[in-house]
Amino acid sequence: MTDSHFTRRTLLRYGTYGAGAAALAGTAASWDRLTGADIPGRDDGSLVVATLGPAYGPEAISTLTEGFRKVHPDIKLRINAVQAVDWSDFFAKILTQIAAGTAPDLVYVATEGVQLFAQRLGVPLDRWVKRDAAQLKEYFADVHPSLVESMMYEGHLYQLPVEFNAADMYLNRQVLRRAGADFPAPDWTRNDFTTLLRAMKRSSGSQFTPYFWTNRLWGGVVPWLFNNGTNLLAESKAPGGAWLWDSFYPAAERRGRGGGFRWTTPQATDDRVEEAYDYLASLIHENLCTRPEGGNGQNLVGVFSTGRVGVTPAGGFWAGGLHLAGMKADAYDVQYFPRWRTQRMQFGAAGYALLRTSEKQDEAWEFIKYAARKDTLTALFDTNQTTPARRSLLTAGRYKETGPAHWPAFYGTLDKFPDTGPIPAPPQVAEVTEVLLKHTGTALASPRSVRPALRRMQSDLEKAMEREV
Amino acid sequence: MTSTQITTPVRTPAGQSPAPRRSPRDRGTRLLATLFLAPTLVGIVVFTVVPIVGSVVLSLFQWNVIDSPSFAGTANYREIFGNSTVLVSFRNTLVFMVFAVALQMLVALALALTLTGRMPVWLRSVFRSAFFFPLVLSAASISVVMKYLFNQDFGVVNWLIGLVGIAPVPWLTSENAAMATVVIVYVWQQFGFSFLLFVGGLNNIPKEIHEAASLDGATGLRKHLHITLPLLSPTLLVATVVGVINALQVFEQPYVLTNGGPGDSTRTVVMVIYETAFEQLRFGEASAVGVLLFVLIMAVTALQFRLSRRFVHYQ
Repeated sequence: MTDSHFTRRTLLRYGTYGAGAAALAGTAASWDRLTGADIPGRDDGSLVVATLGPAYGPEAISTLTEGFRKVHPDIKLRINAVQAVDWSDFFAKILTQIAAGTAPDLVYVATEGVQLFAQRLGVPLDRWVKRDAAQLKEYFADVHPSLVESMMYEGHLYQLPVEFNAADMYLNRQVLRRAGADFPAPDWTRNDFTTLLRAMKRSSGSQFTPYFWTNRLWGGVVPWLFNNGTNLLAESKAPGGAWLWDSFYPAAERRGRGGGFRWTTPQATDDRVEEAYDYLASLIHENLCTRPEGGNGQNLVGVFSTGRVGVTPAGGFWAGGLHLAGMKADAYDVQYFPRWRTQRMQFGAAGYALLRTSEKQDEAWEFIKYAARKDTLTALFDTNQTTPARRSLLTAGRYKETGPAHWPAFYGTLDKFPDTGPIPAPPQVAEVTEVLLKHTGTALASPRSVRPALRRMQSDLEKAMEREV
Repeated sequence: MTSTQITTPVRTPAGQSPAPRRSPRDRGTRLLATLFLAPTLVGIVVFTVVPIVGSVVLSLFQWNVIDSPSFAGTANYREIFGNSTVLVSFRNTLVFMVFAVALQMLVALALALTLTGRMPVWLRSVFRSAFFFPLVLSAASISVVMKYLFNQDFGVVNWLIGLVGIAPVPWLTSENAAMATVVIVYVWQQFGFSFLLFVGGLNNIPKEIHEAASLDGATGLRKHLHITLPLLSPTLLVATVVGVINALQVFEQPYVLTNGGPGDSTRTVVMVIYETAFEQLRFGEASAVGVLLFVLIMAVTALQFRLSRRFVHYQ
């Protein structure tokens, strides 16, 4: 117990201290000081662009801001590089900013979030695209219509794609040599793929995994659904979009195009879906591939570059990643995803979405156009950390240092297989993704669990799709 | 004990003691105490009470951040009880809590008993620092590293057990092994806290009691069972209460290591709260799960204190 004797003198002393502290605090409060408003660009009328932090380092940000300033000196620009581990984490942080009343004007959104943002937050770009049609003809002529269509929702265009990544197959040349196998032909089949994995396994030690893949929406089980002629959700096209196709694309390229994808009825119990899971389960059973872990595949670069993995699905972004990991351009190569019933492949694209809350929509449109320019993308994607949406940027010079030798496969996935489709990402994408990853993990975690897991996946997907976002 | 002011109660005719009259000095003391406590009290109200009340209120609404909240009554709670993922997450969290706390206590106690024995002081300091070190590291960073170590195909752990002829274990991709792996990683990081408490508690046990027991012929094990543990019981209670509360809020380790999988096998309540709120934008439902977790933590803690009356001995 403490001493409870306090004299009048003590109280007076404390009172004096208190008065002194109050006087100091008052003086300090009257000084000019830093506040949140002093953060450069905040509340100063800048156009705020939120980007996925890890994809946009300081150099990229500087490229964007300085280049834009030269073109539009009258528009103040601030890049808000949001650090996030993946797209869902990024979207969560953007929504938190919106809830906090600090919504950006533009948000970098990938296929996973296109429909969610379009339905709830986005502004269609139609009127500006129509207004600046002459200016944009060169852009659309350089960009595959599949990428553009993946950015449409219910007949309206919400983003101009600036990058994409198709799920192709990366092969380690050292492992191929060890297995005495030739580099596969572009039209290789699923059986060729299995045979190759077996040859790789035979020629390598126990610490070797022929096929490594990650449990995720892009590049996981979904490409196997695509090439088996099925999908997670029934797909159709929304009506509309003719205003864009008729203005920018020749008849051959606009055939079959609509107003964007519609993802509707879940079909996890479809025979072909089960067949795809059974195939992957058989590869696991034969020790030709690992049980898939969740994640973004970053930990894969090390094991692939050291020859402990033979084949893995990845996009153009891996050319930059492997180069940074020290892999020589001729040490690996890329080929299309193998054919099963079809050779339809999967891609994901990204661009800038304009938010309804923005009070600078015209300025934001100017940034969207600037970000899709050829010189901007050339400067921004100089390390091949992704695949530029503009076909003309994919040149031998670009891949000379980083590889791979078969780099034309990146854009060829779209050009040679025009039915290649985007990630199935309805507005309920977060829950759909969670359900897919969860039940894929269960289906492939133990033998004979595919069918019950798919039944539960179907039930959960139905609930998710019925939900309002 | 320091000096206290003793006042003689004045007996009333009925023999009852009236409330003692407070002297001006007492009032000054109370005023001063209140002034000193005020910042903390304001902090508790602003950062604890208000969010709790806010969560309870929000749990009665449907809110997706984008639109205005709409009153939903108990719909969020009904939704939870019909959602198998939420129910499984509560089961997982309780299972995790039981194993993680039990293992944490065992490891911490065993090491604390070992290190309070005869050992050079410098070596003891090295061990204490080493055991405490993981606790000051970020759980997320540790989990990222552990994810590499426990990888079925390329991890060091499987390589090590392979040296003694054990087949690779799917540490993170098997429903049976995943929870055990999360518990191992969590305990490795967390036991340092309980360890430090136990070392402090053991040092407070008077040596004379052990010496007296030795004179009476008690062996090492009997001394631990009948002297050390009863006298350490208040510390054990504190360590267990804190351990249980922390374990019921586990998030980083399962989120990074397994993302709740395979299936829902390592999905915990806080993961569900995060996913429901920030990925699926159902903030009302997430708040309802949060309220239930709060109630669960309160109930488990109250139960621990209740049971402690039987087992905790204060000197």
